[in-house]
Amino acid sequence: MAQLSGIGRLSIGPAPFGVAAALLCTLPVLALAFMALSGGGEHLEHLVETQLAEYATNSILLIISTIIGTLLLGIPSAWLIARHEFPGRRLFLIALPLPLAMPSYIAAYAWMAMTMAGGPVHNASAGLFPTVGGIAGAAFVFSVCLYPYIFLLARQAFENLGMKSFEAARTLGASPWRAFRSVSLPLARPAIMAGTALVVMETLADYGTVDFLGTPTFTVGILRAWISFGDPEAAARLAMILLLFTLLVFGGEKLWRRGQSVAEMGGRTKPARRETLSLRARVIAILCCSVPVLFGLVAPVWMLVTLALDTQTARSPFEAFQGTVIVASLSALIAVGLGLGAAYAARSGGWFAKASVQAAHVGYAVPGAVAALGVIAILALFQNLLDLAIGPAAPLLAGGGIIALLFAYQARFAAAAIGPCESALTRITPSMDHAARSLGASRWSVIRRVHAPMAFGGIATAALLVFIEVMKELPATMILRPLDFETLAVSAHHYASDERLAQAALPSLLLVGLGIPIMLLVSWLMAKQQQDGTHS
Amino acid sequence: MRLGILAVIVAAFGLSACDGMQSGGASSDGEMLVVFSSRHYDSDYALYDAFEKETGVDVRTIEADGDLLVERLKADGARSPADVIVTVDAGRLWRAEQEGLFAPLTSDTLEQAVPADKRHPDGLWYGLASRARVLVYAKDRIDEGALAGYESLADPAMKGRVCVRSSGNIYNISLLAALIDRWGNDKAQQWASSVAGNFARDPQGGDTDQIKAVAAGECDVALVNHYYFARLMREDKDVVKDLAVFWPEADPGVHVNVSGVGVAKHAPNPVLAKRFIEFAMSEKSQRLFAELTNEYPAVQSVKYENPALAELGDFKSDPISLQKLGENQAEAQKLFDRAGWP
Repeated sequence: MAQLSGIGRLSIGPAPFGVAAALLCTLPVLALAFMALSGGGEHLEHLVETQLAEYATNSILLIISTIIGTLLLGIPSAWLIARHEFPGRRLFLIALPLPLAMPSYIAAYAWMAMTMAGGPVHNASAGLFPTVGGIAGAAFVFSVCLYPYIFLLARQAFENLGMKSFEAARTLGASPWRAFRSVSLPLARPAIMAGTALVVMETLADYGTVDFLGTPTFTVGILRAWISFGDPEAAARLAMILLLFTLLVFGGEKLWRRGQSVAEMGGRTKPARRETLSLRARVIAILCCSVPVLFGLVAPVWMLVTLALDTQTARSPFEAFQGTVIVASLSALIAVGLGLGAAYAARSGGWFAKASVQAAHVGYAVPGAVAALGVIAILALFQNLLDLAIGPAAPLLAGGGIIALLFAYQARFAAAAIGPCESALTRITPSMDHAARSLGASRWSVIRRVHAPMAFGGIATAALLVFIEVMKELPATMILRPLDFETLAVSAHHYASDERLAQAALPSLLLVGLGIPIMLLVSWLMAKQQQDGTHS
Repeated sequence: MRLGILAVIVAAFGLSACDGMQSGGASSDGEMLVVFSSRHYDSDYALYDAFEKETGVDVRTIEADGDLLVERLKADGARSPADVIVTVDAGRLWRAEQEGLFAPLTSDTLEQAVPADKRHPDGLWYGLASRARVLVYAKDRIDEGALAGYESLADPAMKGRVCVRSSGNIYNISLLAALIDRWGNDKAQQWASSVAGNFARDPQGGDTDQIKAVAAGECDVALVNHYYFARLMREDKDVVKDLAVFWPEADPGVHVNVSGVGVAKHAPNPVLAKRFIEFAMSEKSQRLFAELTNEYPAVQSVKYENPALAELGDFKSDPISLQKLGENQAEAQKLFDRAGWP
């Protein structure tokens, strides 16, 4: 505490740290931008003449259908869980986010194995269930794997926002549906947009799933420019085009939304009171919550368990499990600091701070392997600078190691940390700060006593998202990890890329298994916080 | 506060585990060999274990996809901790060679053991094991006599009957790179277009999925690597009971690709690296590749026990210089793109 009040006296807020961290996170993408400026255009010309239009069309079709799919799966379940009481609610609360713990390419392997000719689902449905493949198949896999982004953020918003307005609307005679549509949904829109942004960026940047399912998207084109043409510069250039496209889409959305921002006045509301549902409504509620869990979790996990039981494992997954826990929890902790700092910077800072925080999102919109390329380049640059300054005594920075890896994760997943923190802080109106400050609270004590409790849900969500992202991350982990260091995602990939789904099953199941205690921990902390909040 | 305590616990756990985990940190006693590999098979783990047991050297590895490995080795430069580089596919060996990542290695033992067409002329890399790209067909729907070679996939009679994975896959790229050398650009282009016109379905899945699709009757013939079929013969007999392998031996022979190993340009421990590579070419190491991964050992005199490989029998392989596979790689992808082979 002494340390904290010391900082308080100096009167430095968290914003400058946030800006600095955000800028650091943009460096790998900056390196890619420089890389994109070098190199010839020969391979790009070829791509423009042949496949590029198809790659782009496929990407656009894929994101449109994935957005529809994730919204349909995520919003009704979030609304039901947040505001209603029905049998199984607590179970669904834990289970609904879990599909996020499964790498989407593993889900793709499992779904194809289930639905291909001769597979169990294919046989059981007498061939009526189509084989998961192509654009429709990829959209299906992304929808069932990524809807938890929408669910998590929307549920958070539904629980915390607009209770009073919603109840007022109901008292004035609005039907529950009308009150939901015209009050709760608009209030939750920033959160839903933040979730959709994560879904879109992850879908656009994915390579493993679309490559396996035979959906040549723009990212497949990027990776081919690198792998087949041996032209990483062309890959960097295409990645920059993809990034610009993503930024335009979200920039446009932000501008469009600017005139319609809604916020409920009057700070912290009582925790959401949950409505008890009629019998018929209960059945529908259970159905709405089961379908996502069934497709995203139960079916693929069942397939993996069947496979895992059918085979003897080659190597013990213990070290990989340990490695995953270490990097994921360290990253989650760092991300909370980064996310909060950046969210403060965006809230209270000037245009530069706001721009830096927006820029920190970019890492998420770049395909993982290409982002890893940017990190490698930045580390090499740092190493050269150090070597120049200090000579041979300079510490070894280039290449891999735990520091390099943690840096790579933040650079890539800053968006997942900043988004939830930002949407959590939007609930806290400047007038609350003024009130607290005028009562003599220091800047840090406002943060600790006002902001932290109010934004806790958002912070926990940020930590959870980053934990899960890091747990699944592949290319940067593979290339930057310390020697002999293994994670579950890497083990699963090694087996799966050798087409040994059965051996990949165990590490994949452990990934999902690891998601369960993390989910429980976060929801326990959140419930605890809510209680403390109401009692204080 | 609770979060704070949690943070401290996790950090302590993390830091204790990170101790000695930093890359380049030497182990407390004895020598260390650092292997950068894009292979991640049981045979390789068995090889590292055997080498550790025999020499007492601590083998540390990083396994990542070949193209990332190349970029990291380039960026690390003289600071690279890698002693040995192992990679799958001749095209990637060629690229690593172009980037100057290998140091030449001369060794009488190696030159005697590894045939000239399976190693670099200047000893930059030596083949470890190889894999053949073959046709798998349904015995009840295709007469073996109707198959001639890779050309057969382009035969109009095969319309709607062919399953292959997507064109970005390195196995397909290497095959077409070889066919470009064999037939010239125009004929290779024609072949790719005709095969794409014969697809039973859009390319999806891996090689094993193509074999399963033939077994399920979705298509009649598939283009796959031999060891996926051999693995199914050993582990999942039911799938392959009505299928057979056709060796596309038509002149000059079956397309074979190689995994290779070389000494890293800036190897901190080149002597140990040489010792490891020689160890990898010994009889008992080489048989690991055949027995655990169903690949063909680079050292041809090696005896191994693998009923599936024995049943598949011998074949004539294309003696093409492996350099060509690298040189033609980009062109091959372009032909695929023009052919509309997704």
